[in-house]
Amino acid sequence: MDLEILHSTVRISTPLILAALGGLLTYQAGMLNIALDGFMIVAAFTGVAMAYFSGSLVVAILAAVGASMLLAALMALFNIWFRAHIFIAGTAVTFLAYGLTALLLKGIFGQDALFTSDAIPTFTTIVVPVIAGIPVLSQIFSGHTILVYVAYLLVPVVAWALYRTRWGLRLRVVGEAPEAAATAGVNVDGVKFQAMLLSGLFCGLAGAYLSLAYVTLFSKEMTHERGLIALAAIFFARGSPYLTTVVALLFGAATALSVTLPQVTGLAPQLLQMIPYVVTVLALVAVGWQSTRARNKHRAWRFDLS
Amino acid sequence: MSAEAPGALASRRGLLDWLAPAIQPTIALVISAIVGGLLVLAMGQDPLQIYGVLISGSLVGVPNLMVTLQMTTPLLFTGLAVSIAFRAGLWNIGVEGQLLVGAFFAGLVGWLAPLPTFLHVPLTLIAAMAGGALWAAIPAFLRIKLNVNELVVCLMLNPIALLLTGFFAIHVFKAPGPTNKLPDVLETAILPQFSLFSQANWGVFIALGCCAIFTVVNNATIRGFEWKIMGLNPTFAYYGGIDVPRRALWAMLISGAVAGLGGAEEVMGVYGAFFDNFSPGYGFDGIAVAMLANFNPIGVVAAAGLFGALDSGGAVLQMTTGSSKYLVEVLQFLTVLILAARFSWEWLRAGGRGQPTRRAVGVINEPEPHPTAEEA
Amino acid sequence: MSADSTPVVRLRDIAKRFGSFVAIQSASMDIGGGEIHALVGENGAGKSTLMNILYGLLQRSDGEIDFDGRPVSFASPREAIAAGIGMVHQHFKLAPSFTVSENIILGAEPLKSLDRVDMARADEETRRLSERFGLNLDPRAIISTLPVGLRQRVEILKALYRDARILILDEPTAVLTPQETRELFVTMRRLADGGHSIIFITHKLQEVLAAADHISVMRQGRVVATIDNEGVTAQEIARLMVGRPVLLRVAKTQARPDEKPTLEVKGLTALGDRGETAVDDLSLTLRAGEIVGLAGVQGNGQDELVQCIAGLRLPVSGNLSISGKPLGRTPRDNRAAGLAYIPADRGAVGLSLQSSIWENLTVGHLDEFSSGPFFAAARARRKAAQLIGRFDVRGAEPDKLAGSLSGGNQQKVQIARELTRNAAVVIAEQPSQGVDIGAIEQIHRILVEMRDARKSVFVISADLDEIFSISDRILVIYRGRIVVDLRAEATTPEEVGRYMGGLHEASSTGGNAS
Repeated sequence: MDLEILHSTVRISTPLILAALGGLLTYQAGMLNIALDGFMIVAAFTGVAMAYFSGSLVVAILAAVGASMLLAALMALFNIWFRAHIFIAGTAVTFLAYGLTALLLKGIFGQDALFTSDAIPTFTTIVVPVIAGIPVLSQIFSGHTILVYVAYLLVPVVAWALYRTRWGLRLRVVGEAPEAAATAGVNVDGVKFQAMLLSGLFCGLAGAYLSLAYVTLFSKEMTHERGLIALAAIFFARGSPYLTTVVALLFGAATALSVTLPQVTGLAPQLLQMIPYVVTVLALVAVGWQSTRARNKHRAWRFDLS
Repeated sequence: MSAEAPGALASRRGLLDWLAPAIQPTIALVISAIVGGLLVLAMGQDPLQIYGVLISGSLVGVPNLMVTLQMTTPLLFTGLAVSIAFRAGLWNIGVEGQLLVGAFFAGLVGWLAPLPTFLHVPLTLIAAMAGGALWAAIPAFLRIKLNVNELVVCLMLNPIALLLTGFFAIHVFKAPGPTNKLPDVLETAILPQFSLFSQANWGVFIALGCCAIFTVVNNATIRGFEWKIMGLNPTFAYYGGIDVPRRALWAMLISGAVAGLGGAEEVMGVYGAFFDNFSPGYGFDGIAVAMLANFNPIGVVAAAGLFGALDSGGAVLQMTTGSSKYLVEVLQFLTVLILAARFSWEWLRAGGRGQPTRRAVGVINEPEPHPTAEEA
Repeated sequence: MSADSTPVVRLRDIAKRFGSFVAIQSASMDIGGGEIHALVGENGAGKSTLMNILYGLLQRSDGEIDFDGRPVSFASPREAIAAGIGMVHQHFKLAPSFTVSENIILGAEPLKSLDRVDMARADEETRRLSERFGLNLDPRAIISTLPVGLRQRVEILKALYRDARILILDEPTAVLTPQETRELFVTMRRLADGGHSIIFITHKLQEVLAAADHISVMRQGRVVATIDNEGVTAQEIARLMVGRPVLLRVAKTQARPDEKPTLEVKGLTALGDRGETAVDDLSLTLRAGEIVGLAGVQGNGQDELVQCIAGLRLPVSGNLSISGKPLGRTPRDNRAAGLAYIPADRGAVGLSLQSSIWENLTVGHLDEFSSGPFFAAARARRKAAQLIGRFDVRGAEPDKLAGSLSGGNQQKVQIARELTRNAAVVIAEQPSQGVDIGAIEQIHRILVEMRDARKSVFVISADLDEIFSISDRILVIYRGRIVVDLRAEATTPEEVGRYMGGLHEASSTGGNAS
C-alpha cells in the first residue's frame, strides 16, 4: 500500500481529532454539542482573514481560536443559561456560522465561493529529528505542519486532564450525575461553560488548520461535516480520548480512501464516506440493545430516554 | 404535590391567545433583523436599502412572487413534517434525509413506471411517502424498542441518505452522459409548472393541501388530540388510555412521509429528475420554519412563506447588488436561536436569578439528550 | 445514654411557614454529643422540614438554632457542612460509574501539584475512615456494583469525610433489607460511641425502640414530646404520634357491601424503581358498596401497588382481577375493565398542567366524543363546562390551563373526569393532599356517594384523619404487605398507628397478623 495514503491519513485526520477532542469534553460534561462544524468554520474564516491582513500565522491562529471560542460562548449562553435545547441551539449556531462566514466572504473579500491569496502565509513543514532517519516511519510521520503534531500531542494532554485532575473528575461527574456534583458543591453551570469554551478552543485549532495548513484558502462550508464525523467518533468511543482518536483516525482513513480508492478500483466514494455514520448507528444500536436488556423492566412506565 | 406559582403558567385562552403564538416569533424576528442590520452596517452597506431589496425582490411583481412561491414550497413540506413530529413529542431532525430518500423513490418510480398520468402521479407520490416513512422508521423503531436517542440517529442518517442516494444516482442508475442524476422522470409523472418565471409547480397545492389536512387532523380528529396530549405529557397520556408508543411511531412515519412528499415535489415539479445533492438544506430550514410556526400547520404556511420570501429576496439581493444572499441565512437562524431560549418574563424580571420556568412550546419538556446517562 | 450533657445542637421554638401554610408550628429539640436521637411522626408532621432547616436547605420562619452554645443560621448546606452537620437523604446523590472514593472526595479532593487528584491518598483516607467506623467499604469499588446498603454507607462516609459531628439520616431504612438495617444500627452505635450525634427520621417504631437513645415525637407541626428510650413502649410512642380525638367524620350510613368481590389482588409482588422489593406477596379484596382505606406511611409499597393495579408498572408476579376478569397490562385495558384511578401525582400523571381544563377532562373519554376518526371538540368543551359546574371547580373555565387551578380544584378536575365513567372500582390516591378543607369535605362526600352507588372505593392515604373519616374498612400496608384488616368503628388511630409503625406482633390480639 502506498505510504502516501498513510501520510494523507495523518493530515486528514488532524482536524477530526482536534474537533473530536473538543467535542468529547462537552460529551463528558453531558452535552450533545453538534455545533462543532459551526465553531470550525468561523475559525477557518477568521484564520484566513487575519493571516491575510496581518501576515502573521500566530496572529491568525490566535484570532481563529478567539472567534471560535466566542461562538462557543454564545452557544453556552443560550444552552446553559437560557435553557435552549442543546440540539436546537447547536443547529442554529452552526447554520448561523455558515451564513455569517459566507456573508463575510462576500462582504470583506468580494468572493462568492472561495478566497485565496498568495499573500497568505503558509506553514512550513517540519522534519522530525529522529523519525526522519527511519525509512517507513519518516514518510508517514515526518514532514507535517506544526498543527498536526500539536493535535496528536494534545490527545494525551486531554486524557490526562480528564482522568487525572480534579477539574476532569468534576467535569465527568457533572456529565453523569449533575445532582451529585451539585450537592458536593461543584458549580455545574460553570463546569459546563468551561467545557463548551474548550470545545471552542479545540475547534478553533481545527478550523485554523483547515484553512491555513491543510489547504490555504477559505471556501463556503469547507468543514464538509467533519464536525459530524468527529461527533460520530465520540459516540462510537463513548467519549474516551484515546479510543476516540483511534476511531477518528480510522474515519479519516476512510475519507482518504474514499478519494483515492475510487480512482484505482472504481469503487464508489460514497460507500466509503458512509462508513463513519453507519458504523456509529450500529454502535448506538448495540449500546441501546444492551441497556434495554439491563434496564429494570419493573419500574414505573416512562416514555423518556433513560 | 400540586402546581405552585400558577401565575407562571396561567394564561387565559381566548382572543388574546390567537395572537400570542405570533408574539414570540415576531420579537425574535425583530431582534435578528436589528442584529442583521448592524452586521450590514459593519460591512459598509445600508441596512435599509438591503432590507428594501429583500422585500421588493421577493414580493413585488409576479416574477418575484413566483420565485418566492417556488422557494416556499419545499419549506411547507419540511416545516410541516417537523411540526407533526415535534408536536407529538418526538425530535425528528432527520427530515433532510427523509426528503432525499422520498425524492429518490419518486425519481425511480417516475422514471421506471410507464403509466397514464392519473395513475403515475399518485403512484410516484406514494412511493415518495413510502421512502420518507421508511427512512423515518429507523430512528422511530430504535427509539421505541431500544431506547436509542432518536436525535443522534437522525443526525447520522441524514448524511447516510445523501450518500446512499448519491451512490445510486451516480453509480447505479445514472442517466447517460456526464451528469449526476437519475434519468429524467417520464412526462406522465411531471407536476406542471405555473409559469416561465420560476419552477413553482402544482406541488404547492399538495403542500397546502397537507397543511389543511393536518390543521383538521390537529383540531378535529382523535389522533390529533392524542398527539397533542402526549407531546405535552406522555405519562398522563398513557394513563389516560392513549397508546403512546404506537402513536409516537405513527407520528414519526407520517412525518417522514410528508418530508418524502417534499422530495417528490422537487423531483417531479422543479427538476424533472432526481439530482444528487439537490437539497440546499430544506430539512434543516424546515426545523427553523417549524419553530417559527410554533409547530402549527397554519403557522407553517406563514413561516414557510416568510422564509421563502427571504430566500427569494436574497437571491435578488445577490444578483442586483453586490451583497450576499447569506445574510438571509444569518437572519433565519439567528431567529431560531432566539426562539429556542426558554424563559418566562418572571425570570427576566428577577434579574435572571434562580430557575427560569420552562414554558412548553408545544414540545414536551423532554430532558436533554444525555450521552452518558445511566441509572443509579 | 451519652456522657455529654451540654447539647451540641439546640433547636428552640422553630417555626416554618410556606405562605399561609404552617408546616412547623413550634419545634424544640436538644441533641447531645454521642447520642442517637430518633425523630418520629406521621407524614406531614414536619420531621423532614425540621431537619432540612437544620441542614440549611430551608430557612426557618421563627425560632433559634444553637450550635455548641452559639446561635447559628445556615443559609445553605455548604455552611451546615462546614459547621459539621451532614445529611444522608433518601435518594442518594452518587455518580454510578465512579468509585467509592471518587464519590466521597468530590468537592474536597486531595491534590498533588498541577491540580492532579491524589487518588492514592484519597483511597487511603477512604479506607482509613471506613475501617475506623466499621463500614468496610472498598475504596476502589464502583458504585453501580454495590447493593443499596453499601451505597448508603458511601453517603454516610461522605459526611464523615467532611468531619461531620452530627449526622442526619432521613428514613435510612426505607430501602434496606432487615439484615442491612441491623448492620446500619451497629454502625450508628459505633459512630455515637465515637462522639458523633445521630439524628434519624423514621416512622418505624420497632427501629426507634431498638436503636435510639432519645426519641422526639412530632405531630402536626409540633414536637409533642422528647423522651428517653428506657422502659418506653411502642404503644406510648404511637399514642403520641397519632393520638388525638377523631375530628372529622363524613356523615354516612352504615356500609352494606356485597358479598362478591370486585377488585381482587392475589400474591402481588412488585419491584420499585431502584430494584428493591416494594410489594411483597400482597393480597387484598374489595367489594361493591364499601370504602376501604389503605393506611401506611409513604414508602411502604402503596405507590407501587396502585401503579400495578392501574397498569403503570409491571409486577413480577401475582394476579389482579375485577369481578373475576383479569386486569390488563395497560391503563387503557384497565379503564375498559372498570377501573377509575385518581393519582396522587396530579402534575405528572393525573393532569397535563399545560393543557386546558376541557382537554384534561376529555382524556380517557375520547370514545364518547368520537365519530369515526373525528373528534367533536365543541361538544367536549360543552361537556367540560357542565362538569365544571357540577363538581364546583372554582376558578375554572374550559379553556383555562389546568395549571392555573389550585390544588383542590385540580383534584376536582381529576375526580370529575374519573368518576363520570361507569367504573366499578375507584382508586383515590392521597385525595386530600394539597387540598383545602372545604374541598376535602366535598371530595369525601363524593366518594361516599360513589360507595352508595354500589362501587368499590379504595382510598390510599398517609393521613390518618382522612382514613378514619371516610373508611368503612381499614387496611394497613407495611413493608409491602397488608398487615391488618380492621373495621373502622372497631379500631382507633393508635392501633392503626401501631400497625403503620410495624408493631403488628404487639397487637391486642396477641398473634401475628402479617
